[in-house]
Amino acid sequence: MKKNVKENIGLVFANIFFIVICFLTLVPILYAFSVSLNSNNSLLSSDFSFIPRHVTFQNYLAVFTEEPILLWLKNSLILAVVTLVLSLSTGIPAAYVFSRKRFPGRKPILRILILLYAFPSLLSMTALYKLLSPMGLINTKLGLIIVYTGTEAVFALWNMKGYFDTIPVEIEEAAMIDGASPLQIVMRIVMPLAKPTIAVTAMMVLIYVWNEYIFAINFMTGTDTYTLAGGLYSLQATEMSGSWPIFAAASIIVSIPILIVFFALQKNMAAGLTSGGVKG
Amino acid sequence: MKRICAIGMILCILTGMLCGCGSSSLSEEEENTIVIWHDKEDAVIKVLEEQLKNTDSGIKVTFEKKSDLTESLKMVGNDPKAAPDMYLFAHDKIGVYAEMGILAPITDIIPKEELEPYMDNTIEAATYKGEIYQLPLYYETLLFMYNRLYMSDEEVPETTEELYAYMKENTKGGHYGFVEQHSTPYYAAGWINGYGGYILNQEGKPGLNQEKTVEALEYHKKFVELMPGETEYATVNTLFNEGMAHSTIAGPWLIPTVKESGMDVGVAPMPVIEASGTPISPYMGVQGIQVLKNAAETKPKAIEEVLRAWMDADVQVKLAKASGCAPANETCYELEEISSDEVVMAMKETAENAVPMPNVPEMDVMWTVAGTLLTDVNMSGKDVQESADKAQQEAENLIKSMQ
Amino acid sequence: MKKKKKNILFAYGWAAPSLLLILLIVIFPIIYTGYISLTNMNVYHWNNYDIIGLDNYKDALFVLDNGFIKAFGMTVLWTVVSMVLQLVLAFIIANLLNIKKLRLRNVYKTLLIFPWAMPGYVSILLWKTGMFNSQFGLLNQWMEKLGFSSVKWLNTNFLAFCCCTVVNLWLALPFMITIIDGALQSIDKSYYESALLDGASWFERTVYITIPMIRQIIAPSVVITVFTTFKQFDVIYLLTQQVGAKTGADIHTIMTYAYEKAFITNNYGYSSAISVIIFLILIAFSIVTNLKPKEEGAV
Repeated sequence: MKKNVKENIGLVFANIFFIVICFLTLVPILYAFSVSLNSNNSLLSSDFSFIPRHVTFQNYLAVFTEEPILLWLKNSLILAVVTLVLSLSTGIPAAYVFSRKRFPGRKPILRILILLYAFPSLLSMTALYKLLSPMGLINTKLGLIIVYTGTEAVFALWNMKGYFDTIPVEIEEAAMIDGASPLQIVMRIVMPLAKPTIAVTAMMVLIYVWNEYIFAINFMTGTDTYTLAGGLYSLQATEMSGSWPIFAAASIIVSIPILIVFFALQKNMAAGLTSGGVKG
Repeated sequence: MKRICAIGMILCILTGMLCGCGSSSLSEEEENTIVIWHDKEDAVIKVLEEQLKNTDSGIKVTFEKKSDLTESLKMVGNDPKAAPDMYLFAHDKIGVYAEMGILAPITDIIPKEELEPYMDNTIEAATYKGEIYQLPLYYETLLFMYNRLYMSDEEVPETTEELYAYMKENTKGGHYGFVEQHSTPYYAAGWINGYGGYILNQEGKPGLNQEKTVEALEYHKKFVELMPGETEYATVNTLFNEGMAHSTIAGPWLIPTVKESGMDVGVAPMPVIEASGTPISPYMGVQGIQVLKNAAETKPKAIEEVLRAWMDADVQVKLAKASGCAPANETCYELEEISSDEVVMAMKETAENAVPMPNVPEMDVMWTVAGTLLTDVNMSGKDVQESADKAQQEAENLIKSMQ
Repeated sequence: MKKKKKNILFAYGWAAPSLLLILLIVIFPIIYTGYISLTNMNVYHWNNYDIIGLDNYKDALFVLDNGFIKAFGMTVLWTVVSMVLQLVLAFIIANLLNIKKLRLRNVYKTLLIFPWAMPGYVSILLWKTGMFNSQFGLLNQWMEKLGFSSVKWLNTNFLAFCCCTVVNLWLALPFMITIIDGALQSIDKSYYESALLDGASWFERTVYITIPMIRQIIAPSVVITVFTTFKQFDVIYLLTQQVGAKTGADIHTIMTYAYEKAFITNNYGYSSAISVIIFLILIAFSIVTNLKPKEEGAV
């Protein structure tokens, strides 16, 4: 009984803590939200309030009617989904062998892969251009997908490998004795147990593709090839024509799909070892 | 194992797809397709497109808005598959691209004599190492603007000292007599040029610690003290737009915004700097068409036709009406519809003293160095001469590193 | 013997697609940059550049002056401060998110990663103009309401450093929280149960069970974050140094320093040499500080 009271008090405090911290995190976003509901064309205002005096949904309407945002959304979705599938289908087998198998070159490769992050990539774009252009991949979605998958591959490999390492190997051995093929082991045993890390990796890839705009605007030409992030960038790129409220509205709209996906992924993330009932 | 096979297959197909290209000569259809990159507002592009419709040439022109146009061009400039055929941009990158060898002189297509009607300084702006690289369409300069609610037409300062007196009197209680992007080189250049100094001269030599430049910085500082401690455009424009600043120096693109918010905005000639007797002389940017070398070689006919369509003075008049662009063609100013346009005429007047933005490649590094110098002087309160010497040294080093 | 060979083939076969992509997209640019660093590719020799040997490296050594050393020190400070704050805060938040009866867990998590769901330039712009702006920013409006005078947040070095750290934290925490939260899921709850039976306190459980258990899982992400923090450019550049919006603060990390001293010259040969030098310095630094994911593995 006493324990319960203590627990409940703790819970109340935790909730208060999270409400405060969520509010602090959201201040700039609430700001953008308020700007997006404002009828004046300004990001700045001398008397700001979170609830604007003249609320208007005009800017949201404008985003959908004046900008080809649905087209951008489609482009972003295609890129994100294909990159995600490619990343996981190349990353999971690689992470698995680096976790389970011992082979010459394994340690040095792992070591080198992480060091690659030390490279300042300011000039990488030119190099990638030289690589993709002869293959005819400039101005194609495929080119961007390859770039995105490659960029996230090191993270995918290392991140999932780290998690695979913590999964006890005994079950796999048992399955192997039962005659399961490596593919079956990965699909039926490892993947269900590694849900949290797969979800995190997927999240990471998704967000990267969703927010990436430098490659998207440089490797693709024409308004109809923009991704959401690229289109958004073009909305604010020229200081003369930028409309702040529309930009703010577009920013909010861009982030909503990611949040929905994240919310949906939550369940998967929690369903790791706890449900598997594996003991080490 | 199946999965691996599948992935292997995909990769094979990919490589197969990648290698299937590489024909050299253009078909007739390709020859008649022109791609133009730009970063302009829709109104401008619409006028240009309309004009092409009048000529029935069968040439298909596609405009593509490109956000990072200058960076992209560096990357794709000499790759005919990805590069545009022409682009519409300000003249100040001409030197860089000409040196890179991706631009064709405009005179390869249009004989020089035919460029006669254009204002001299627009042609001067387009000239790099003796060659003309741009067909001018319109130009823009900063303008002195004021809010008639606070500053009456009689109060508009004719000299900078009058401006200073006005600022002293009216900068209080959250209001500013005058604001500008004081520590941004593009804006401060007006003061430096007007004083007889320069950021970079025609030969590509920096002049940051020239006597006149230092004097200008010194003089400008007392104005800065009466302005807010921010130099970025959002702050400055909002102050003016919300009626908290009575006057400003800003680009013509600000005018539609402030008019929309209901301001009675006036445009006046730049105040004269007493010490030199010259008005504040901002940089002039000339917007025009540049032709890429590849395109000039492979489809000169189509390009010539498109360029000729836009040489029609009528296009520039339409641009002026659509988007307040000041025509580069001298003859336009004889027309009533242009000479009655307050904004365009103010730009024309400012343009008489304005300095074309340097188009030499060296300018690329000057924006950063001059920006640092201005913030050092105006915002960190460092000694002017010392900072100028340091910046000059820095600029010279950087220019040396360009080679 | 044959089996071993088959095993190796199998491993490389499975890893091949991923490694091939890394080779193309990550390693090729490094090799290319290395090659360009030996040439005179610049505005004046854009397409007709030649190999000129190590001249660029000789020039680049001039950049390694006092300013560079100062910037390097600043970068180390920046990285340490950012990483410590990030790890501590993310760890606390992730732990609290895992309180058993926290019903709204998923809502909190989703809200907390909101900063991650926006392109970086949007967030930085929002902070710069919306929060920190000295005339109109929300912070100063609050300061005034509380009766303080307004502050120029980004104009002086110390404040600007703090502001940049806050923004960087804001941008990076969602990732760290997600990673640590994911790692916490991997811990078998039975460990805690037996520890509780032994009467271990929360602190003891954290130090003896949680941290050792998650260390290995989060290590790669932490190391990667250390590198990206070290190379952080956008936050500091866009907040304080962007051309046309400089604030007067003089905080340089090695990346912003290299940008102002080399990258703006359009001299790709020279800039590439500097990139390679920074790459080597970072690798050396990571070896000296023994920064690497521990690799014992559970097997």
